[in-house]
Amino acid sequence: MKKKKSISYAKWGYLFILPFFLAYFVFTFVPQALTIYNSFFENYREGLTQVGPNFVGLRNYIQLFTPDANGSIDVLKYAGNTMILWVLGAVPQIVIALLLAIFFTSYRLRIRGQQFFKTVIYMPNLIMASAFSMLFFTLFSNVGPINQIIQAMGWSDVPIDFFAKTVTVRALISLMNFLMWFGNTTILLMAGIMGIDQSLFEAANLDGANAIQTFFKVTLPLLMPILVYTVITALIGGLQMFDVPQVLTGGAGTPNRTSTTLVMFLNNYLGSSKNYGMAGAISVIIFIITGVLSMFVYRSLTKKD
Amino acid sequence: MKKCVSAFLALVMVFALVACGGGSTPAAETPAQPSTTSGSSAAPAAPAAADNGEGKVFNIYAWNEEFKGFFEKYYTVPEGVTVNWIIVPSKDGAYQNALDEALINQADAAADDKVDMFLAEADYILKYTNSEATQDVAPLGVTDFSNAYPYTVQAASDANGVVKGVSFQCCPAALIYRRSIAKDVLGTDDPVEVQALLNSWDKYEAVAAQAKAKGYYMTASEAADYRVFTNNATASWVDADNKLQFSPEVEMWMKQAESFAQNGYTVLSDIWADDCTNQMFKDGKTMCFFGPAWYFNFSMGNAQDAEKGCFGDWAICEGPAPYFWGGTWLLAATGSDNSSMLADVMNTFINNEDVCTKLVKDEAQFSNNQKVNNAAASDDAYASEFLGGQNPNTIFVELAKNIKFENQTIYDQLCNEKLQENYREYLKGSVDKDTALQNFYKAIHEAYPSIILPQ
Amino acid sequence: MTVSDSAESRRAHTQLLVLRIIVYAILIFLSILCLFSFYMLFVNATRTNAQLQGGFALLPRGHFMENLRNAWTDASINIPRGLVNSFLVAGSTAVLTTYFSALTAYGIHAYDFKCKNAAFTFIMAIMVIPPQVSATGFVQLCYKYGLTNRYWPLILPGIAAPVVFFYMKQYMESVLPMEIVEAARVDGCGEFRTFNTIVLPMLKPAMAVQLIFSFVQSWNNYFLPSLLLTKAEKKTVPIMIAQLRSADYSKFDMGKVYMFILLAILPVLIVYIFLSKSIIRGVTAGSVKG
Repeated sequence: MKKKKSISYAKWGYLFILPFFLAYFVFTFVPQALTIYNSFFENYREGLTQVGPNFVGLRNYIQLFTPDANGSIDVLKYAGNTMILWVLGAVPQIVIALLLAIFFTSYRLRIRGQQFFKTVIYMPNLIMASAFSMLFFTLFSNVGPINQIIQAMGWSDVPIDFFAKTVTVRALISLMNFLMWFGNTTILLMAGIMGIDQSLFEAANLDGANAIQTFFKVTLPLLMPILVYTVITALIGGLQMFDVPQVLTGGAGTPNRTSTTLVMFLNNYLGSSKNYGMAGAISVIIFIITGVLSMFVYRSLTKKD
Repeated sequence: MKKCVSAFLALVMVFALVACGGGSTPAAETPAQPSTTSGSSAAPAAPAAADNGEGKVFNIYAWNEEFKGFFEKYYTVPEGVTVNWIIVPSKDGAYQNALDEALINQADAAADDKVDMFLAEADYILKYTNSEATQDVAPLGVTDFSNAYPYTVQAASDANGVVKGVSFQCCPAALIYRRSIAKDVLGTDDPVEVQALLNSWDKYEAVAAQAKAKGYYMTASEAADYRVFTNNATASWVDADNKLQFSPEVEMWMKQAESFAQNGYTVLSDIWADDCTNQMFKDGKTMCFFGPAWYFNFSMGNAQDAEKGCFGDWAICEGPAPYFWGGTWLLAATGSDNSSMLADVMNTFINNEDVCTKLVKDEAQFSNNQKVNNAAASDDAYASEFLGGQNPNTIFVELAKNIKFENQTIYDQLCNEKLQENYREYLKGSVDKDTALQNFYKAIHEAYPSIILPQ
Repeated sequence: MTVSDSAESRRAHTQLLVLRIIVYAILIFLSILCLFSFYMLFVNATRTNAQLQGGFALLPRGHFMENLRNAWTDASINIPRGLVNSFLVAGSTAVLTTYFSALTAYGIHAYDFKCKNAAFTFIMAIMVIPPQVSATGFVQLCYKYGLTNRYWPLILPGIAAPVVFFYMKQYMESVLPMEIVEAARVDGCGEFRTFNTIVLPMLKPAMAVQLIFSFVQSWNNYFLPSLLLTKAEKKTVPIMIAQLRSADYSKFDMGKVYMFILLAILPVLIVYIFLSKSIIRGVTAGSVKG
């Protein structure tokens, strides 16, 4: 066959994405597919004894959506907890990160000591979540320094039990998540802004655009794909929120399971009983919720183009 | 284009090599550690191992290095055998996860990779003794338990009384009290007299009221004495029909905790939380703590603090009932190809008086050999300065004989933890009692779906 | 004219000054929040186990060197070995993840092929599956096939990192003009070479960011490694820290634990500072024009 003038590059596309799919199918696909498969089975361990797998159809799902003695459906409660914790942590995180990214990249502000600030705000992300929680524990315990200050200032006679109130536990979890991740988000956004062709800013400047106009007319549209990424990964990360509330509440989601997230719920089933049936069903639910929300966010943010 | 493909493939290869190389270099760099390189076993078989046809690699699973230290000091490994320590931290259940996977795959594992012996704690020991993964040690030659404390043998036995291992230590636990507070409340700090005033739960609760009247707490955690109740439980957490039940003893604790919380006799706290441990300082207001020797020697650091502590202001007595807390058991894995060495190790740590004496003398252990411990009980050299000159062994030898390990199930660890956790929420007033119990049932159901819950 | 001009510029100047003060105030406040936890880590690393049991302290005590010596010479954990191991695993994972994510993203961004949209949707879909789920199954498979105590089961899965892929894809959308690729093709440059020599340098800020993130993530990873790496000489830093924390009561020493946590952060901090420079340098490199 003779060589054609127009060359099809399609095979390069396939070739370039091949390693990803190979690695995915070899290392991750089987366990993930098993997860969905398992959600239709009774499959757990009691001690060292394996029970199942026995096909049970939708029983695991039905059980998840069966109201408990008080008439509340646990999985919905935990989904609600997760959303609340996510909003409390992620909204300030993205807003502040965006502000900081603009500060750092602004020509007019010319922030000094940038390297210092950029390093410092990322540092909490370097501490392991468990170590970070340990610190928060001692800080906010009934005999800890925060309570000592509160009592010394006369704001309260008795120590405030931060870990026994829904509001304070949620606030602490959100604060920790914020501290751990806002530096990370700032850097992502900054890299996005840095990637924008500088001549566009110069042109805007020459056209007499002020900072706010430049931001909305130049920076934001060009940053949009990265911002979409930030929001969606924050959403996914938020719906998979686990380590901070897990460690801070010792896995109990105290008080009254109001800080139990969906993945903590899932983890309860994977603990001693390795209940792949129920864990599989919960994963499928998380998968559906996240998928729908992400698609919604993705569509609504990218439609404008 | 072909060039590009081959370049790409070459790159992948390089990465793969880097990755795999990364995996193999550290091992290659450390042949200095003979205990972990199976290569050394390929050397001409040493006579001892070859004679009895046993394996040349002895694999021990553990979650810390405590027993490893004693083993390396006091046990002589047969010539030609390499001991492999597989140490997995207990954090996030990693130890049991790794051990379970190894035991489940035991049958398919190569002879030198099979688990020979593993360590377990009382909290979850039944999971292993009641399974096929452990073997009867009697045929191996571990038969003399006359000197071991009965509860340590009970704990290592399965439902039919078949013994699957031994404990190398014994952890009887006592009531630990502040001498100065006892003097103020009870008018005495003498262990015998204090014991007479605290030898039943009724007396104990009466003293709690007296302590409160003088401005003290009885305990620094409502769960401080939880184990005293559950160790003596007359019913198991799960009955023969697989139904969850509260033993009378657990109910007694719940009632006591409730009244202690309402009357302000106790701090409401986890036993490891700062709220509780801060009570161990000199300015703490708590009279009683509960624990074995390791607890007051190593976990009551605040009491031993040079400036803020109250070293020497403590003593122990038996308290309302005997119980134990902690301890490590050695279990024999099914499929081990080192039977005689397994038996030898186990016998050494319970029946070799020489070794047991060294454990007591040099390692501050309370050994699992009654004869050796009894000698220590009457030896003034063991007087503890922390306990104001009291010899704790005198109390412990008596306590240890009466400890029971009965009515236990594989569900106990979870049931105990979850009950305390959820009940504390009720005691603190975060939820009502019914919600607390419902949350407790939920936690049980998530971990053990087969247990039938009360409605 | 000149008067009003200078007045306006003065006003603009004051505005900028006020803005700067506000910005610095925010930055300093956030920095204090962030540094406080590090300060506490440091303080805790200077205290003995007994002092740590007593709760919080604001001022450092004099046991820093003692804790350092204890941690460094601990018989059961080999810190230098752990640091080297962690560096090997985290370094290779970060490189593989970043490179192959960029490659995959480029494959989907730059080429038109039949399964393109399907591939993109698929990767987006697997991104939303919680990692906890596949982890336990993966561990079982590794035990079944005897893949414990090897590094590659921890490293190679990094090639398929949907989140990093997504970032690269979005980044290309905002900064990678296809004209440059076209120009390279006209110059007769092969596709793979174009990617490596022209596209990758333009992605420098993004690569640096993802190198850092994936390095940190892998560096702090405990769950999978703790189950797969059981030999002493293979263990990574988080396993060693957990092992210190599950030490028996006679050896349990939180001072040592905090010291090790502090030591474990240093290498990551160095990698971060090193790479974050290239995020900034990326600006000049990024403006390379075809």
